[in-house]
Amino acid sequence: MEKKSLLKKITGSREASLVIVLIVLCIAVTIKSPNFMSAQNILEILKNNAVIMIMALGMLCVLLIGGIDISITSTLAFAGMTIGMMYKYDMIESTLLGFAIATAMGAVCGLLIGVIIAYGKVMPIIATMGFMYIYRGFAYLVAQDQWAGADALGSFKDFTLSNSLSFGLINNTITVAIVCYIVFFIVLKWTKFGRCIYAVGSNAEAAEISGINVAAIKTAVYTIMGTLAGLCGALATSVYASAQPNMLTSKEMDVIAACVIGGVSMNGGRGSVLGALLGALVLSVISKALPLVGINAIAQNTIKGVIIVAVIVLNVLTQRMMDKANLESREM
Amino acid sequence: MEEIKLSEYVLELKGITKIFPGVKALNNVQFQLKPGEVHALMGENGAGKSTFIKVITGVHKAEEGEMYLFGKKVDFKGPRDAQQAGIAAVYQHPTSYPDLTVTENIFMNHEIKKRGIIQWKQMNEEAQGYLDELDADFKSTAEMGALSVAQQQMVEIAKAVSTRARIIILDEPTAALTANESQKLYKIVDKLKESGVSIIFISHRFEDMYRLASRVTVFRDSQYIGTYDVNGITNADLIKAMVGREINDLFPKPEVKPGEEMLRVENFSRVGYYKNVNFHVRAGEIVGLTGLVGAGRTEVVESVCGITRQSEGKVFLEGKEVAIKNPTDAMKNGIILLPEDRQKTGLILSWGLGRNVTLPIVKKLSNNGFTNDKKERELSRKFLEDVDTKAVTIFDPASSLSGGNQQKVVVAKALAQDNMKVIIMDEPTKGVDVGAKAEIYAIMGELAQKGFAIIMISSEMPEILGMSDRIYVMCNGRVTGELSREEATQETILEFAMEKGGKKKREEAAK
Amino acid sequence: MAGKSGRTISATPDKSLKKALLSWEGMLLLLFIAINILCKCISPVYTLTNVLREMPKYLTEIFLLFPMAYILLMGEIDISVGSTVCLAATMACLSSNAGVPFIGVLAVGLLTGTVCGMINGFLATRFRELPTMIITLGTQIVFRGIAEIALGDGGSVSLTNADGFRMIAGKVGPVPYMFFIVILCAVLFTVIAEKRVFGRSLYAIGSNSRTAFYSGVKVNQMLFISYTVLGLLAGVSALFLTSATYGANTTTGKGFEMDAIAMAVFGGISTAGGKGKLVGGIISAFTITCLRVGLGQINMNPQVILIILGALLICAVLLPNISQSISDKKKKASRA
Repeated sequence: MEKKSLLKKITGSREASLVIVLIVLCIAVTIKSPNFMSAQNILEILKNNAVIMIMALGMLCVLLIGGIDISITSTLAFAGMTIGMMYKYDMIESTLLGFAIATAMGAVCGLLIGVIIAYGKVMPIIATMGFMYIYRGFAYLVAQDQWAGADALGSFKDFTLSNSLSFGLINNTITVAIVCYIVFFIVLKWTKFGRCIYAVGSNAEAAEISGINVAAIKTAVYTIMGTLAGLCGALATSVYASAQPNMLTSKEMDVIAACVIGGVSMNGGRGSVLGALLGALVLSVISKALPLVGINAIAQNTIKGVIIVAVIVLNVLTQRMMDKANLESREM
Repeated sequence: MEEIKLSEYVLELKGITKIFPGVKALNNVQFQLKPGEVHALMGENGAGKSTFIKVITGVHKAEEGEMYLFGKKVDFKGPRDAQQAGIAAVYQHPTSYPDLTVTENIFMNHEIKKRGIIQWKQMNEEAQGYLDELDADFKSTAEMGALSVAQQQMVEIAKAVSTRARIIILDEPTAALTANESQKLYKIVDKLKESGVSIIFISHRFEDMYRLASRVTVFRDSQYIGTYDVNGITNADLIKAMVGREINDLFPKPEVKPGEEMLRVENFSRVGYYKNVNFHVRAGEIVGLTGLVGAGRTEVVESVCGITRQSEGKVFLEGKEVAIKNPTDAMKNGIILLPEDRQKTGLILSWGLGRNVTLPIVKKLSNNGFTNDKKERELSRKFLEDVDTKAVTIFDPASSLSGGNQQKVVVAKALAQDNMKVIIMDEPTKGVDVGAKAEIYAIMGELAQKGFAIIMISSEMPEILGMSDRIYVMCNGRVTGELSREEATQETILEFAMEKGGKKKREEAAK
Repeated sequence: MAGKSGRTISATPDKSLKKALLSWEGMLLLLFIAINILCKCISPVYTLTNVLREMPKYLTEIFLLFPMAYILLMGEIDISVGSTVCLAATMACLSSNAGVPFIGVLAVGLLTGTVCGMINGFLATRFRELPTMIITLGTQIVFRGIAEIALGDGGSVSLTNADGFRMIAGKVGPVPYMFFIVILCAVLFTVIAEKRVFGRSLYAIGSNSRTAFYSGVKVNQMLFISYTVLGLLAGVSALFLTSATYGANTTTGKGFEMDAIAMAVFGGISTAGGKGKLVGGIISAFTITCLRVGLGQINMNPQVILIILGALLICAVLLPNISQSISDKKKKASRA
């Protein structure tokens, strides 16, 4: 086997090239706007994108088993709206309880989806499309044409403003995100459950024959996704200091995009926590950076879309170049 | 006090019957495996071998019958039970995880853990240990998908060894291997046998059987026919047991005087696949194109047929140069291809036979672009009957046919195109049982008599020697030798296929 | 070449009314009738005239079902259609407000849609390694993004002169023009899919695109054409939509692709490709539309309607699977 040069290793690793892209981006923006790399700014970016970053972890697992979930923002809205209403009508007061309820709701929503996909053998795109309608509908039903504003949320909204979880160090929202990332990193790399996820995504038939309970793994993955969506429902309500039934509509594509940019394959079996993190960071840096370099915020989505297309096309082109080089090196 | 009966067999099955909806896949079969023996399992396609293996490995549960492992009765509820009992199987198509590393593939589902945490370093080292024992030329940290078929098979064997299997089953182990790799595999089997493992292997190749096995069991039509000593049996006996009738003339090669040149390929090159390939075929000729797996034969003909594009080179049809840029061009010019992988590229398995046959000619049979179902049905029925396809209606899904019959559908599809001049068959009898093989050779002979030019790609020496008028041998993307029917022998072909002949030729040319 | 064993194979197709009724399309037809009866019972104003009057709102989406079905039959997908509709509607409105004559406005709308479709087609055929889900995910964001830029800070545009568009929204008696065009497209697309060589090739590509290619089917060409036509029809849909809303904004067309895919899947067209019939999609589209109209007439919460539709979609795919596994288990048990 040929020894790979360091350069080849770096360009071959998606994660490595993303780090380089991120560094280049940050440098470029900082040149134009020196404030960009300030601690305050960085923390602000992280806080505002925490929801997408956390959900990207769940989507990572879903994509790893070769599935997809477009219902996540509906679950998020359903969970967030429910606790929003509970706060509004003084049914609950404690922040912890709010988070617990939202997360539990998300888990149940995800479980239902998982069972239908894994045991009902419904294709993920169809199942999650159906639930996208259903859960969003539930969110509207719970709202009853109302919404929960800042005053209704009381002390709940202060969650995002305080640093209590990390004993005063960093914002709570960011702490939650960091904890999630650490947990997922460990589970996916060092536990049997995590490796089974990769196995199912790489070759579900082989996994079945190996004795892995593929249906259980699939159900678990969608449940995890739902749990994170529920958690983010509470988080988003706190961050935006409001709960509305149309929270984060269409943002599920952002979550998927973060994973795709991060090198997660839609065919399953390939992708990493680091990749998802970098993908989400690249996206959030770009959106924050655009106005600072003079591009109107209105063009944000277009740029985001163009970048996604560019990334995936570039991926293909580099793969083709590598294949071509491989062929040319063959001695005939 | 109960007497514990110790069996002389390490594995014994009695009266096994397995039924699927509408078909009895196994009918009261029996089998005995002695400790430390290598036991071959042979039979036509559809005889029940694969199903039988799946019963042993716990994938299927038999409706009737008993299985005894080391003298004790066992009842597997699933593949996991069989694995834990010490039975491992290495299948023809590696059932592995292409995105994961070799180590992960070996240790999947029995990882080395400390308090729930996977110990990667230790696993990598142990996996490397298994690979070294098998004389592997790759590392345990390599990605499975980047390995060749032979290497992947080695990983599967390492996996079996790592589970401390006492019984290892190999399903067509040499089907996708080159001669070199097959030799390596034989050595591995020897090693396994020495370490006390008992082995069952399925193969269509008599050479495998003679080299490795001490006994051979034959199944036919879901039934157990008999178990024979490899030393005492002849090819003819074995064929008779497998097919139930005598096949006298396996290769009915008619004497045909070759006519005009039909196809000539000049200076064909494609970066990374083949270089400076020249060959020609005349009307009525059967030209064999052989070589080891990976020599570039399929790549060459796929360029000739427009599936891929050559970097340089010309194709001449009946003396005139033709430009072939896509499969339609090739078919318009009368160059028809029967692809190597009939299930992936030759047929649409979910479709009925009739629609498979007429797929390339739907437009030709249409009325101004409107499909003519009646014409298609009649035409496809005619050609399917001509090649003697075993099916009830033309609407039977292609997936319901055996390998040999599926190949016949592919042949019918080629014949139905009607304007052909050159037929290129890529491994036409791969995975086809002896009975259907003979029928396909007969069809080939008839086509030659009718004046078509035929190119047959094959890795099986007997059919190359038996059917070809002339033989081209390729190695590493080049044509290394051209032999006539008279001068061709297994040895000379192998020499050319392994480059020794090629080097000689080039050295002589340089002098 | 005579068959050696003289075996004959039957070529007579098995056509029975029972089979037709029990097929997915047959059951859908029964469902269509059942839903109409249901609506008639629960809503006093459920008459043909009323239904036709409310149809235009939904017809704009039904349009997209036909070309989307072609894409699905080939085993691909396009989730950028809604954004294409948005962009085409935006361009049409802007050009109309800029004084372009109505014929030009129509051209702008159609052209925008077609170009969007061609971009998708180009990417899908030149980069076959990429799943079309991802490609159209990207273009979905780009197309709507361009519309956002064009719409500027307000995020919306209203027609200053709606005369031309009012023409399109005209009717023949109680039946809107759009309805005729939808029926025309329905017939055209169905005939092509069932009876033309193009349709046979579609199913071939969806069942096994490699075999189709090896057998001479021009796979890339058909992909490109299908995406382009989807874009063109998105343009048509945008024009009809504008004739009802007299404007466009950044949320125009949101969810259209999902609705089109849902109608197709409910109609029996599998996202895996190669399975399903256009007739099923048409019946399911009208079934769902009638249900929506009926439920809307009794003032059911639109969100609840969405929930019902989501549940219907899932049941439509789940129930056949469940019944299949029950019948498999029965077969196994009866043999034991």
